[in-house]
Amino acid sequence: MPHLDYEHHREHEHENQKHSPAPILDVRDLSVSFGKQEVLKDISFEVDEGEIMAIIGPNGAGKSVLFRALMNLISYDGEIKWREDVQIGYVPQKLFEKAELPLTVKEFFILKSKNLFFKDKHLVESISHELKSVGLEPEILNQQLVNLSHGQFQRVLIAWAILRHPNVLLFDEPTAGIDVAGEGSIYNLLHKLQNERGMTVLIISHDLNIVYRYADKVLCLNKENLCFGEPKKALTSEQIERLYGESAFYHHAH
Amino acid sequence: MPIDLFLPNQFLIILLSGLLAALAASFLGAFIVVKKMALVGDVLSHVALPGIGLALLINIDPIYGAAAFLLIAAFGTWFIEKKTTLSPDAIIGAFFTATLALGVLLVPNEELFESMFGNLFAVRFYDAIVIVIVSIIIFVLALILSRRLTLSIVAPDLAKSIGSKPDASYLGFLLLFALSVALGIKLIGSILMGALTILPAVSARNLSWSLKSFLSFSVILGVFMTGLGIIIASVFNFPPGPTIILSGVVFFVISLIFKKHD
Repeated sequence: MPHLDYEHHREHEHENQKHSPAPILDVRDLSVSFGKQEVLKDISFEVDEGEIMAIIGPNGAGKSVLFRALMNLISYDGEIKWREDVQIGYVPQKLFEKAELPLTVKEFFILKSKNLFFKDKHLVESISHELKSVGLEPEILNQQLVNLSHGQFQRVLIAWAILRHPNVLLFDEPTAGIDVAGEGSIYNLLHKLQNERGMTVLIISHDLNIVYRYADKVLCLNKENLCFGEPKKALTSEQIERLYGESAFYHHAH
Repeated sequence: MPIDLFLPNQFLIILLSGLLAALAASFLGAFIVVKKMALVGDVLSHVALPGIGLALLINIDPIYGAAAFLLIAAFGTWFIEKKTTLSPDAIIGAFFTATLALGVLLVPNEELFESMFGNLFAVRFYDAIVIVIVSIIIFVLALILSRRLTLSIVAPDLAKSIGSKPDASYLGFLLLFALSVALGIKLIGSILMGALTILPAVSARNLSWSLKSFLSFSVILGVFMTGLGIIIASVFNFPPGPTIILSGVVFFVISLIFKKHD
């Protein structure tokens, strides 16, 4: 079944390429340093419209830093070229350490409003639409963010990111806290968004099974670019060993 | 100072200025509490003192000296936090406490007590009008800023990802807070102003179930504790500043009883 999806997706992508051959994202020789510490070095890759690209690498490999550079939140060397009509939705790993703020789900969405103070009718209407598309009931709107389960919280973050229909989604997967069943359905959801809305998805992932199953491309990162390409070709066991070290390889290969 | 020295409508104006200053302070205080910068907020208010001292030396209204120093300090706080990775608590705690010491040296003895603990009943009619107008402006601006500010506190990266500037909202917030502290100095003084901003918010946090209820409770409690404090102070001839803070503490204790166990 995943295999069929994969084939279908390749066709879909070819169709898109006929109309817009330029990649939606083109990154050349990207380097980021914090002070004297080099966090990313000479990263180059490109992403076509409608693709799912996974970014993998050990802790501290600079994966989240790459996202911040892609969103132009930090300064960098090199070139990051997004296609001009790009709108980015971003799903962070977490929001806050400890919530002092009794924010409800609905209020969290309203914070995205372009209106500074007055009610944004259009936004309020689209909130329940987006909640439905991530598989949440409207009743969740009046709950406090801190009282949500990890799975619900992830979905709320995704719904927040896809509100106003961006065409690119940057998804920073949480390292812990989602059980395997929950994880599976989150990825199905991302896959559905990719299929139905033609969204381009960049995902920082910690689970190689997920990468093989869902990603069209994979970027292995450990400060520098270690591999890039189709998961089945680029992600050989030697590469994985190089990336995580031997112990981590056995851990992931179960 | 007994109130019967004032015309009745003058007392009303002064009461109103106290209530509106409390309205602005307690609304901003909600964000101070959420951002866990209660100490910063408290210590920032001490910066007013050398400003008051200098203003008295060059013979201008102390409130302007206080406002100028507070605005500079607010900008400094923002700048230090932006440029260094050091905890603002540590830097500001050390630096601004020094300004308190400097202030005590600069401010003449007879003015010192009033600067530190305030005296609402000594506020002149003209000052009260200024406090009322500026408080309303601060409150409205803070209300407009609140969505952006909340998002930048909850998730700075999300705020940036939708093109808003968390740095700018934070600076705006600090400047509004500085102005609000300056207004509160005549009312309850620089030492107690921190408490007026924090107390309503921490009490409101115990009672609230959403951002809206939190901000509303904070403002309602701030106005209520100030009103009650002023009335008690005028009836028993107490200094108003400490009376306001103590009535706030009573509300805080009551809010603990209603605290939701989550």
